[in-house]
Amino acid sequence: MIMKIASKSTVLVSTQDLCAGYGEEQILYDVSMEACKHEITAILGTSGCGKTTLLKNLIRLFQPWSGSVKIFNEEITDMDEPELNAILARVGVLFQYGALLNSITVAENVAIPLRQHTDLSESMIERLVRIKLDLVEMGHTLSKLPSELSGGMRKRAALARAIALDPPLLFCDEPTSGLDPMTSADLDHLILRMRDDLGISIVVVSHHVASIDRIADKIIFLDNGRVLFQGSLKEAKSAGIKQIDEFFRNG
Amino acid sequence: MKDIEARVTYEDNALIYSGDLLLPVVSQLYEDTLAILKGLSAFEIQIDLSLVRQIDTAGSAFLDEVKSYGLQMGMEAEIINVPESISKTLSTFSQKVDKQFLEQKERQRPWLERIGNWLDKRDHEVLEFITLIADTFYFGIAHAFKKEGSRKGEFVNQCILIGMNALPIVGLVSFLIGFILALQSAAQLRQFGASIYVADLIAVAMTREMGPLITAIMIAGRSGSAITSEIATMVVTEETDALKSMGLNPVKYILVPKFYAITMTMPMLTILSMILGILGALVIGYTYLNIGVQPFIDQVANVLIMKDIVTGLIKSIIFAWLIVIVAAYFGFRVKGGAEGVGRVTTASVVVSIFAVIFADSILGLIFYFGQDVVTY
Ligand SMILES: Nc1ncnc2c1ncn2[C@@H]1O[C@H](COP(=O)(O)OP(=O)(O)O)[C@@H](O)[C@H]1O
Ligand SMILES: [Mg+2]
Repeated sequence: MIMKIASKSTVLVSTQDLCAGYGEEQILYDVSMEACKHEITAILGTSGCGKTTLLKNLIRLFQPWSGSVKIFNEEITDMDEPELNAILARVGVLFQYGALLNSITVAENVAIPLRQHTDLSESMIERLVRIKLDLVEMGHTLSKLPSELSGGMRKRAALARAIALDPPLLFCDEPTSGLDPMTSADLDHLILRMRDDLGISIVVVSHHVASIDRIADKIIFLDNGRVLFQGSLKEAKSAGIKQIDEFFRNG
Repeated sequence: MKDIEARVTYEDNALIYSGDLLLPVVSQLYEDTLAILKGLSAFEIQIDLSLVRQIDTAGSAFLDEVKSYGLQMGMEAEIINVPESISKTLSTFSQKVDKQFLEQKERQRPWLERIGNWLDKRDHEVLEFITLIADTFYFGIAHAFKKEGSRKGEFVNQCILIGMNALPIVGLVSFLIGFILALQSAAQLRQFGASIYVADLIAVAMTREMGPLITAIMIAGRSGSAITSEIATMVVTEETDALKSMGLNPVKYILVPKFYAITMTMPMLTILSMILGILGALVIGYTYLNIGVQPFIDQVANVLIMKDIVTGLIKSIIFAWLIVIVAAYFGFRVKGGAEGVGRVTTASVVVSIFAVIFADSILGLIFYFGQDVVTY
């Protein structure tokens, strides 16, 4: 089945029998999944089922217990730090609450990856920061501190930081959690723009049904750390799997 | 409102409950039940609920408790005659109580196994701690002259936070301690007509011990706690994850500027503390012991040797490192959300103050043990 999908389009992220957890507690069991180019792949499931854990293992913020994780077709589980950082430079991550550094301004936050991974001049960096912030309609907040922003604005700013280096691949952890329906919809449109206008492939974690309906091309359904279903949104809804039906009915 | 009341009686091998099995009455009811059960020697008893009017979660838990108590005494208890009106609550909230459950609860692991387990867990923590020390010094020393991956202006910022802002309080406390020590020793020394030696006493005490110690304790309380809570907050809000995902090392980005700043400012604060402590003593000497300012200063200059000051400063740097590393260690290992931050911050301050005092004793032994008693 994996081969079939792979032949249709390029796989950017994939795992094979990934097991992971914290300390002694196993959270993920034999997770095999993949996400393809120019698609939005949504990882869904109820709260606590291990979505964030999967995401963090995908970019090796935690070392997986066993199994393989490939990004851009390269095995990252046994990479050393410089190699991993080279991969991560081509990956953007939007964390659940934005995770902007609180002691520096929004502009400085967006500049971090640019300073870290490029030798651009100060004025070039400034220009790029402005472009990215304008892209997410946050140009007016350049010199604000993250603590002065609302939840939705924080996520936008964090999104600007995540795409600072024009990564071909973007991970988002619950971009719409804790936002009102209007703001959620705005953010979803922004994510769609990332895919359509910038050609970014996106892996998004969500438990927000309205949002999944709007943005997801493919879904991966996690249940208690196991992959229950993988495929298109339409297939998922008609697959007749009890947990998935319940998820969509109650979300 | 009707009074809540419940009663238990015993009849024909059955505990008969009547009234309301509600929170306000269950503890009294439990005592009554135990009094009955203690006098029994049956193998099986029944719990008759036919006269119960209402029940809540506490009542349901109470029945479980009675059942489990019965099991411990070797009695199987069975609930009978559950009225329609309470059966829903009871079935929703009552938990499984059986022998297996009790055995599981009872089973204590052998002490050796528990110690082994404890050590096993600590093993991991010790490793983390050592890794943190290694990282700090590695980035602190090897990358001292590379700007990449650290925050611009952060070092100066931290020097102000840790050093400058602590000046008034460290100064004031040191002055007062010098003052008080002098006051207390003056009374003793005066008896022997040796008042002038207050200068010697305080000078040596402040430079060798009190200066570094007071400064370290103040900084552990002020900056150690601030460092822990800052780092812990960053961990909790995933800022450290974000840094890693952007290819930055959190130890390098967050900790190294603080490491430099505290290493720089602690010795300076310590010197300030030494001077102000002696100044405090001078005030006592001048006002209470009638020692002139000049003789006092001469006496201090006479007694202090380079070693006193150097060991004091070496101590202060070691204390600085202890404080910053303990603070970071607790910050990075925070668990849970906001309440976790408070927990590790408290732990960090307690441990770093202890570590400072412990290290002070060790260093005192190293520097001064077995030294000839100085004679004048
Ligand atoms: N840092 C951590 N340490 C220990 N357990 C964790 C940690 N983070 C998450 N968990 C646990 O892992 C499980 C899955 O969490 P998570 O992946 O965050 O779920 P989701 O994102 O799907 O809501 C939960 O039971 C949670 O308690
Ligand atoms: Mg999550």
